[in-house]
Parts: sequence; structure tokens; C-alpha cells
Amino acid sequence: MKITFPHMGNVYIAVKILFEGLGIDYVIPPLNNKEALSIGSKYSPDEICLPFKLMIGNYMAGIKKGADTILLVGSCGPCRFGEYPELQLKILEHLKHNADFIVLDAVKSIGLAELFSRIKTIGRESDKRLSEKISAVIRAYNAMCIIDDIESQAHFKAGYEKNRGECKRLLNSCKEEVFSCNDPDKALSLLKSYQKKMSNIPADYSKNPIKVAIIGEIYTVIEPFTNLFIEDLLMDMGVSTKRNLTPSWWVKDMLLKIIKLNSREIIKASNEYLPLYIGGHARECVGEAVLASKERFDGAIQIFPMGCMPEIVSKAILPAISRDKGIPVLSLIVDEMTGEAGYMTRIEAFIDLLERRREHVLTGN
Amino acid sequence: MRIGIPKGLLYCKYHPFFETFFHCLGAEIVTSENTNKKILDLGVGTCVDEACLPVKIYHGHVASIKDMCDLLVIPRIMQVCKNEYICPKFCGLPEMIFHSISGMPEVTYLPLYMHDRKSLYKWCAAYGSIITRNRSKIRHAFEHAVNAQRNFKTGISELKKINVMLAGHPYVINDAFLNMDIVNKLKAKGIGIITEEFAPASVSEAQVMKLIKKPFWTFQRSLFGASAAFHHQRTIHGIIYLSSFGCGIDSIVIDLIRFHIGEFPMLVIKLDEHTGEAGVETRLEAFIDMLERRVDNENNLPAYGQCLYSGENSV
Repeated sequence: MKITFPHMGNVYIAVKILFEGLGIDYVIPPLNNKEALSIGSKYSPDEICLPFKLMIGNYMAGIKKGADTILLVGSCGPCRFGEYPELQLKILEHLKHNADFIVLDAVKSIGLAELFSRIKTIGRESDKRLSEKISAVIRAYNAMCIIDDIESQAHFKAGYEKNRGECKRLLNSCKEEVFSCNDPDKALSLLKSYQKKMSNIPADYSKNPIKVAIIGEIYTVIEPFTNLFIEDLLMDMGVSTKRNLTPSWWVKDMLLKIIKLNSREIIKASNEYLPLYIGGHARECVGEAVLASKERFDGAIQIFPMGCMPEIVSKAILPAISRDKGIPVLSLIVDEMTGEAGYMTRIEAFIDLLERRREHVLTGN
Repeated sequence: MRIGIPKGLLYCKYHPFFETFFHCLGAEIVTSENTNKKILDLGVGTCVDEACLPVKIYHGHVASIKDMCDLLVIPRIMQVCKNEYICPKFCGLPEMIFHSISGMPEVTYLPLYMHDRKSLYKWCAAYGSIITRNRSKIRHAFEHAVNAQRNFKTGISELKKINVMLAGHPYVINDAFLNMDIVNKLKAKGIGIITEEFAPASVSEAQVMKLIKKPFWTFQRSLFGASAAFHHQRTIHGIIYLSSFGCGIDSIVIDLIRFHIGEFPMLVIKLDEHTGEAGVETRLEAFIDMLERRVDNENNLPAYGQCLYSGENSV
């Protein structure tokens, strides 16, 4: 069995550490790129959301490199993501690319026993002892948390750094170096050293950069290719960004959901505008917009794929939050036809607006 | 007390319930007009651009009667079957409308689980108590409403020589303005129509069970199950799928059906506020011509594309 999996941000680094620790054969498809997108859009239904298309591109690349099993996390909520595996399997079958799907679904709808049996099919491939398996899982989870921390530090610090571009350089070299390291223990210690380096980057906290919260649909905010590397762009512009949704947040959220203690702060903040779960991460998006205004961010940027059902609801609500709380919100909708120039212009104009707004507030106009 | 009930979305399926309930309590019921150009324009003007046509039209219905009522019924239908959903937009409907349309009266925001009597009663008790304090009166009205709903059946089944299944969400099929009166257009051409409500439940369920992942959308279940069942039993000669542009559920269901039925004729009509009637008419005619030829003359004329590109049929 050779496992492949779709990309989502930096998850591939953690999964690499996991599979290497378990001694399981794996293939990492090339990072999301134009080719994956064009293959994906060719074989997917027209109106399906962008993550679906990119995933098809990832699978095809993985299968080309010899993968025969696809690992995917699932969901059973009202959002389309939960229905991906069925259709993706049919599409791959139709293209004569047969691959098995292992879908790690929510416990609530498939039951704990079924979930364990699915995990066991992966576990059987590993010849390690149980204690080693467990420590491999823990190590991978730690790695994921550390990468997310390094990344969020870099994004926030970019506004304060003394030497322009240092955060971004360090972040990029961290990803490269860790990915090329084939020893899981070494990779983890590398990550830790980078974490330290990142917090040691000289910063000038007297600066007062524009601060923007990145909110919206989880795949498109995490996966830089889909949002045309918005966070890198904002780092270059010296803007501090914060994004709550990360792969490690997602894992924590899934685990805590079982005892209903997940992301309490966000839920509390969203109560006024959207008191019920409606699927996807619409509720988080609304809550984060409220939190961003409380934390005195200058603005928020919502990103979601064309046709995303839950985010359309939050898009309808965001103007009200913007009006009530006085925080400007920009909604960006991405799909395979997003034109780069128009997209960049809108982001630049939005940052301009935030800067001017601040000047006016300061001068009292 | 005037209760406003917009005639959009699942009104076509659940109006007996809401109307009977409030009628029994002695409230005056204000419904919007049948969908028309004015309502569509109102809806397009107030709703977010990305929403699907039925949701936009619903906004229009709400906007057209919001000033004429004291309480507006916006059913937040979370589920109609256990562990199944409809669409995230239904779950957030009151918020969506409340923040898009200004000057709203009081609205119903409690969630509705249509399969669960207890939760239905809770909803009725909450909004009935605005009209009357009399608990037994509310209970009585609730029973009436449940009965009225039970006795209410929707769907079309008029079989003729050539039959098509008219597939799509009930609010698309039942809204003659939204779907450009396709039902009557088909009838005028002498085509038999059958909808998902008339699919034999056991066959349809058996087809759904073939899916590896249990579908969690009610409409996915019924539409996929029914098309597969009709196809399996050879009740129909083709499927006409009415879909609204940007419908998240249809983007999956249509392809699932396509994969299942293979080379069987299927016409997908995407509707939104920009759809032109002439184009729809032409496509319908072409599709029906094809069906007629398949039945009358050539017996086994392939559906589009199949023979020309056998082997590498595009998805």
C-alpha cells in the first residue's frame, strides 16, 4: 500500500513526519500548482468548489507517482466537503485510475468502531510496535503545532520586523529544510530550533503596522495557492496578519467537539450574529470578525471558494458586523478563474483604505 | 396579529402546516404573491450575489410583505429527516435575511426539525404564545397543522407515451416563474412527467444504498434514489434536471446521477436571473426531438457524445 493525500497548507510536512515515523510508504504530490488546478478543473463538475478540483489534481499526481491509496479526512455536516469522497472515487474510477479511499469521518456518524477499523487499515502497514506508533502520532501532532506557530508568528511579526523580509525568508527556509530532512526526530528538533529563531527575530514594537484578520473557508485560507499567496503578499507590504484557522486548530476542534468544548471564545463572539452551526466554518468566520474588531484589528479579509454554501451565509452577515462594530471587511471569492491582477488590486486598495482610515481617525477628521 | 408567510423555498412543501397552525389560532395570514418579476428584482437587489436563485427569490418574497405583518415566518428548517440536512443556507436563513433587508419586523428564528414532533411543538408553542396564552388552543392548532401537513401531497405523475422525470429541488419544480413554466411547456408538447415523489421507496432506497458514503442531504437521497429507480425500472425515457446556478447540492447530485445512468438521456437546465427563455425552449425542443426519435424510429439512438468518443468520454 502506498498512501497519498491531498494538500492543505503545511499539513504535508506533519504527515511526512508521521509516515516516516510509522515506516509507511507514501507519496507527497507536488505542491498545489497550475497543473493540478487545470487537471482538476478538467475532470471535476463545473460548479463544484475549488478544493475539490485541486484535490483531484493532487490525487492524479500522486497516482502517477505510484500511490494506490488515498487518505482523506471527512465530515458529515451539511457542507459539500462531506460528499467529496463519493464523487472523487467515481471520477477516478471513470478515468481508470483506481485507488482505494480511506476516509477518516466524524465519529458521530460512522461510529467509533468503524473509525478505528479504518485507522487500523493504515496501522497494519506499519511494522512498528504500538508504543512506537503512538509516539510517532504524537510527534507528528507536535510538529504540526510547531509549524503552525512558526507560521503565525511570521505573519504577525512581519509588520514589526526591523529588517524587511526577514520573517518571510526564515519561514521559507524552515519549510524547505524540514521537508528535505528524512529523519522524523531530526525534523522535529529542526522545527523547534526554527521556532526559537523566529521568536528571536529583532522586532520594533513601537511600530504600529496595519493589522488584518484572515477569515473564511478553512481550505482556501490555509492553502496559499488558492488564495494567490495573500499572506505572503501582506507580509511584503508590512501588514501584520492573524488567522485562527490552522490545521492544528482543526484537529483540536474536532477532538473537543465530542465534548462540546471547542473554540468557545469564537462561539461566544458569534452568538449575536449566528447562534447555530450551519456547517463548514461559517460560524467561526462570523465569530472571528467580531473578535477581530474587539482586538482592535484594522480590518478583516474573508476568503472563500466560489459557491461555498456556508460562507455565502456569513458573507450576508459580515456587512452588518462591519457596520455595527466599525471594522472594514473585504470578501474575496476564489476559483480557477480568479485573475491575479484584479485580485491584487483589490487587496492593495483595501490596505490603502485601512491606512487612510487610520490617518483620519488620528487627525480627528 | 398579522402573520407573514413568504411563498418561497419550502413553502411549496410545508405551507399547510404553517398556514393551518396560525389560522387555527385566529391570526390573519399574509402571504406574498406568486413569484413574479417584481419579487425577483426585489430579491436580486437585497440578497448577496453569490446565493442561488431560490434564495434570492425568497429574499424578494420577504421584502414584498415585510411591512404588512407583525411576525414574519422564516422557517429555519435544519432537518426534515433524522441525521440528514437540506443546505447550509436554510440553517442560516433568518440571519441571512435579517442582515440583508433593513426594517424587518419580528421574525421566527427558532430551528425546525420537521421529523421531530417534539421540536415542532416547541416551535409552535413559542410562536403561538405570541398570539394566545391559551395552551390547549395551541395544542389543538398544532394537531390540526400536523394533520393538514400529513394529508398534503406534492408531485406530478402524468405518464404518456414518452415520459421524463422532472428532477430538481421542490422549490424549483413548483415555482412556475422560476423554472419558466417548464411543466406546462412539457405538457403542451405531450410529454409525460413524473417527479421523485412517485418513485417506489424500496427501489429508490436500494439504489441509494449502493453509494459508499451515506448521503446526508435529504434532497440528494431522494433525487439520486428516484432517478436511479426510474432508470432501473425503465419508467422513463429521459431525465430533465432543473437546477439553479450555484446550487451546491446539485453540483454533486447531478454528477452522481450521470455516473449512475451512464448513456441514458439527461438534460440539465441551469436557471438563474440571467437565463433567457428562448434558450431554454430551444434546448427542451431538441431534447424532446431526440427522445421521440429514440422511441419512434431509431430505437437506440445514443445520447450525446457517447459513440463518437467511446472510451474517453469526458466526465
